[in-house]
Amino acid sequence: MNTDQVLILIAISAYITGTLSFLIYFLSRENWAKMAGIPFAFIGCVTQFVELFYRWQTSHIWPLTNLYGSLSLFAAMSVLIFIVFALRYDLWFMGGFVLALAAGFLAYALTWNEGYLPAVPALQSYWIKIHVPLVVSSYAAFMVAFVSSVLYLIKYYGERSIRGGGTPVRARAATGGGAQFDVGLSMQAAPERRPRPIIGGDSPNLESAAIAGNPLALWLATLPTLAKLDILTYRIVSIGLPLLTVGIITGAWWAKEAWGAYWQWDPKETAALFSWTIYALYMHLHTRNAWRGLRCAWLAAFGFITIIFCYLGVNIWISGLHSYKM
Amino acid sequence: MATRVRESVDEVLGQLSNFWFGMSLLAVWGVMTLIGVVVDQGKDASFYQTNYMPALARLVLRLHLDNIYHSAAYLGIIGLILACMTLATFWRVIPARLPPLRGVKIAAIPLNASVEIAGDEATVRSRVEQFFAGRGWLVRKREQGGVEWTFADKFNWARKGVLIAHVGFVLIAAGTTLYWAFGYSGQTAILAGSTVTIPENGTRFTLDRFRYRIDPIQTKSGTVYQPIDYVSDVHVAAKNGPLETRVLRVNHPLDVGDTLYYQASYGFAVPFTLTKNGRPLPNVPSAPLREGEGFAVGDTSRSIQYARFVGTIGPGNTIGADPRPNDPGVILNVFDGGQAIGQVLVPLERGVDLGDGYHVEAGRYVLYSGIQYRHDPGIPLVGLGAFVLLTGLCICFYLLPARLFVRLDPAPREAGREAWTVGIAATTVKGYEIFEEQFHALVEALRESEPRSESVAGSTRPVAAAT
Repeated sequence: MNTDQVLILIAISAYITGTLSFLIYFLSRENWAKMAGIPFAFIGCVTQFVELFYRWQTSHIWPLTNLYGSLSLFAAMSVLIFIVFALRYDLWFMGGFVLALAAGFLAYALTWNEGYLPAVPALQSYWIKIHVPLVVSSYAAFMVAFVSSVLYLIKYYGERSIRGGGTPVRARAATGGGAQFDVGLSMQAAPERRPRPIIGGDSPNLESAAIAGNPLALWLATLPTLAKLDILTYRIVSIGLPLLTVGIITGAWWAKEAWGAYWQWDPKETAALFSWTIYALYMHLHTRNAWRGLRCAWLAAFGFITIIFCYLGVNIWISGLHSYKM
Repeated sequence: MATRVRESVDEVLGQLSNFWFGMSLLAVWGVMTLIGVVVDQGKDASFYQTNYMPALARLVLRLHLDNIYHSAAYLGIIGLILACMTLATFWRVIPARLPPLRGVKIAAIPLNASVEIAGDEATVRSRVEQFFAGRGWLVRKREQGGVEWTFADKFNWARKGVLIAHVGFVLIAAGTTLYWAFGYSGQTAILAGSTVTIPENGTRFTLDRFRYRIDPIQTKSGTVYQPIDYVSDVHVAAKNGPLETRVLRVNHPLDVGDTLYYQASYGFAVPFTLTKNGRPLPNVPSAPLREGEGFAVGDTSRSIQYARFVGTIGPGNTIGADPRPNDPGVILNVFDGGQAIGQVLVPLERGVDLGDGYHVEAGRYVLYSGIQYRHDPGIPLVGLGAFVLLTGLCICFYLLPARLFVRLDPAPREAGREAWTVGIAATTVKGYEIFEEQFHALVEALRESEPRSESVAGSTRPVAAAT
């Protein structure tokens, strides 16, 4: 087993162990599980970057010229973006899902690892060091946004199943009062004189069901409020969309240098434009009260499906100017 | 009459800028784009007949799905989307994002709070204004209905971010239009040793030599023949210009007289001879053919197409993996009445019988270089548009324009002491939730900035109340 393979093995093992730790934390809210998962997320991410750098230095071939390299960077960047957001907004509860996806993508990347292949002429450009990392980073951000939007949907429909219909946050806001759960997720009543938050509270039905001991309600109450999850998704998409925009622009500039036209309606370009439109739509619609929340969560989840189609579907199944599998 | 016309125009504009109309257009565009991604574009009819099920091939050809991105319907949808976006931007979004300075019912805004500050009105107002101005808020005052309002704005200029982003789109569209109006593009293939003239500008290209490098690389799943380099050694002369020796390679276009030339492709051109009963037939082109080109077989309904070059013919007349011309041959497609009836692998400088006395022979290959050229005066504008678009997007995404509405009302006198209740409400362009923590921190700071004052807990009204 060479150094390259050892590093990959360490990364995958770290992600799997981190996934288990974070899933335990997600389900039980045991702090030790979170504290155990965090180092594994760091180890996996750092090891992956080391592996890509090692690959570059030993072969003198830029590692992102094939699907293995880009998928590997995708997994590493998604974990890196997750860590940055988790440190800033305490998102460790999402760690199990992000690390599981990262491990899955990394394992899938291995199936495309054919060794060190020099780049084909079209890829022998400095643009590859700009365009590909930007685009792959945007995909990674959208993956993290996908996880938070799916958690939003889980919480939304969980709350609805307890309440039996309606819109939880609005209902809570409209009625006010009741005990509340901080985002820190301990069951504490708000101080008397403190302003009642919009985003800090769950629906009163969820709160009362949790107080009554409903296990689903108790567990749902440990998740951040719907409004908070919605804002988290928005903030992550706010990172991903500009990255994708710059990625498309640099790609167009590169295409102009390599092929003579900055836009050729190649399947990859078209699919990327479609995904960009979905996320641009998300950002526009998020400014509207009627769309913020549930509809935007569905849109962010759908957006990531289009990203997967753009990334893997086009590369693998559809031939075009971007068919760089090996 | 004029009123009726105006109403009709308003109705049309209202419909065009309608959100759901825009969504419907996007959905149609999405479906058409998906078809374009899934269905191979720009191929010959024979390609679909060969590779698709007959019914699907007919559908693709009859509905012109083989060139969907250049169809009138597709361009029309894009035009409508642009019109819809423009109208929605200027008719609905921008007016809503640039609200006038007008008083509000503070208690009706979900983000509201009140702070009681001791002192006379002028002193309290001055303190409040200084507090916000000191924290980078733009403070302005207006008197409305006998009440003096103080408005504090953060990133007020950033409200125009959406406008800047859309200006970026307009610049890109303008740059593209410049290309349509004054630009041109095309492609040409030059056989080694021959010269071509670009029809649009008279530039002459002579291909001295074409070099390629393909390396066999050992991978886990076997040997892969990886292309490493394509290079054209050319002599080029712009119209009335001097002759220059240049090297053209992928990713390094040549700029000759404001037109860029790109190394796009290469191939193996092959001359063919067709005989019947040993006598040469005249209807075969004398020049070597490139992949995709063909000729009719005598006066029959059959035709032959040079499908592709095979570098190495393996044992048992199979196609070898090595694309380099070791033991080369060509694959010919045979058609009868436009229908593909078979394929045949023909070794170079040897022939194959086609039946009825016909015999086709492939000669020695000649390398050719595929060159693409493009004169695009709109590129600087497109680049500027991309930059402006990105700037606008960053302003929209990373800055949060917020407005505070502040009014003073006399507080009940206690122990003869004068005090004022400072009512504060906040709105942002991205809803209330996203600003809630900052708002409460701001109110708390205002409260703590006045140690002698007594404060009343702020209250946050439900979002639903405002929606």
